[in-house]
Amino acid sequence: MSHLPSLVFYAMSAALILTAIGVVTMRSVFYSAVSLVAALTVVAGLFLLYGADFLGAAQVLVYIGGIMIIMLFVVMLSQRPHDSMERQTNDQWFRALCLALVIGISLVRGFRIFINQMVSTVVPVPTSASLGRLLLGDMLLPFETVSLILLAALVGAVLFGQDKKS
Amino acid sequence: MFELGPALSHLFQVMRSFATSHGVSPVLAILISKIIQTNIIILLVSLVPMLLVYAERKVSAFMQARLGPMNVGPWGIFQTLADGIKLMFKEDVVPSGADWWVHFMAPVVAVAPVFVCYAPVPFGQGLTPVDLNTGVLFILSVSGISTIGILLGGWGSGNKYSMLGGLRAAAQLVSFEIPRVLSVVPVLMWYGSMSLRTIALAQQGRWFNIIPKWFIFYPVIGQVAFIVFLISSVAETNRTPFDIPEAESELVAGFHTEFGGMKFALFFLAEYAYVFLASAMATALFLGGGDGFLLPNGIIPSWIWFLLKTFAIVFLFLWFRWTYPRLRVDRLMQFCWKFLMPWSFVNIALAGALVLVRMR
Repeated sequence: MSHLPSLVFYAMSAALILTAIGVVTMRSVFYSAVSLVAALTVVAGLFLLYGADFLGAAQVLVYIGGIMIIMLFVVMLSQRPHDSMERQTNDQWFRALCLALVIGISLVRGFRIFINQMVSTVVPVPTSASLGRLLLGDMLLPFETVSLILLAALVGAVLFGQDKKS
Repeated sequence: MFELGPALSHLFQVMRSFATSHGVSPVLAILISKIIQTNIIILLVSLVPMLLVYAERKVSAFMQARLGPMNVGPWGIFQTLADGIKLMFKEDVVPSGADWWVHFMAPVVAVAPVFVCYAPVPFGQGLTPVDLNTGVLFILSVSGISTIGILLGGWGSGNKYSMLGGLRAAAQLVSFEIPRVLSVVPVLMWYGSMSLRTIALAQQGRWFNIIPKWFIFYPVIGQVAFIVFLISSVAETNRTPFDIPEAESELVAGFHTEFGGMKFALFFLAEYAYVFLASAMATALFLGGGDGFLLPNGIIPSWIWFLLKTFAIVFLFLWFRWTYPRLRVDRLMQFCWKFLMPWSFVNIALAGALVLVRMR
């Protein structure tokens, strides 16, 4: 019973890897998008499993409730029969594979160092209050900068979306 | 007089100690009792829609000077049960143009998050299934997954009407989720917590011994937040006047045109469960949860108060449906982005000012 959390973790990781592979190998664009939804849900579950309750809820709210729905929206408007005819790789697949392997190996090696430094037995505490204090306290400047950039992007989108004649 | 929460927890304790005294390991006993508790919630969520369907048919009938279902049982109270049995035995028809997997998954994805969403709802004293620290955010975010189910249904049916319904649903639900989240923010700011139970408990007490200290009675911020929350909840549950994803006169039945039998029933279970959930949320956030009024607390137990208030708001939902005509698509979007959104931002600013005043 004591290794129930790690069992859940491995099950979720397996599901995450499977769905992530599904995103890049599925022939239909719609299937890939749905697979991405599943992958992001599992990531939110992993966040929750390790006590990041706010991050998990925000992940579902923003990625699944917002971004993925818009993505599916776009996919639904695109035509169906053509996407299964397209090739899934282009001529640079070997170079891309090498690059992916290098990044993957360096990530694994990097995390190895961190894992040894981390304290493994931390009791998860609710994070939303401390996150809020951090965002509006020590991290106020970066937080406001990011919101300003997002506002600029919004205004820009409105500007580009306007009718040219008016 | 009779509080359900302590009685239930006592019952579970007795059952657990009985199990452990007969050689079941304590961890297993806790696990099994959790599973039983989860099943109680699932049963509740499955039964509430049956009640609401009956209520909807009766309310609509009375509003149109009809009687509604009368034949199955006294006053037709077993009508929804009969309908449910009928839907269960119907043939599962999948159109030849449909994608079998997506068609199959759509109702499942639409209905599964509903059960999870009921976890942090405080049904009364000691009746909160899981007191989540991020309760409000949890409900708002997880209920967003159901939109994916609607999209799957719209795409997987291989039908143009379904597709249009799905597209409309996506646009509408994504848009109205924003004012809905923003309308809750003043409540969270005022009580400094995202747990529904804490918020409901914080609203106990009276001003001048008469007016309850519910959030809806706070001047301006309470009423504006409540109205925005109510309107966007009606839109989030795809009900008239915001039912353009399934507009019968334009889209046959929208995203669930090609669904029959149990699949159709699951879509409707999700819709009615969300109506009840939105009402329960409004009760906990704005109407003081299980706090009674007029009568001193304790005469009527808190869970009955909670259910009474929730059904009062459910009645509002039904009333809207049979009173207002459907909005046009562009008007709907304009209403959301140009009216609800700015006013909820103004409301947040006002609430912030009030919080500052309180801190002085």
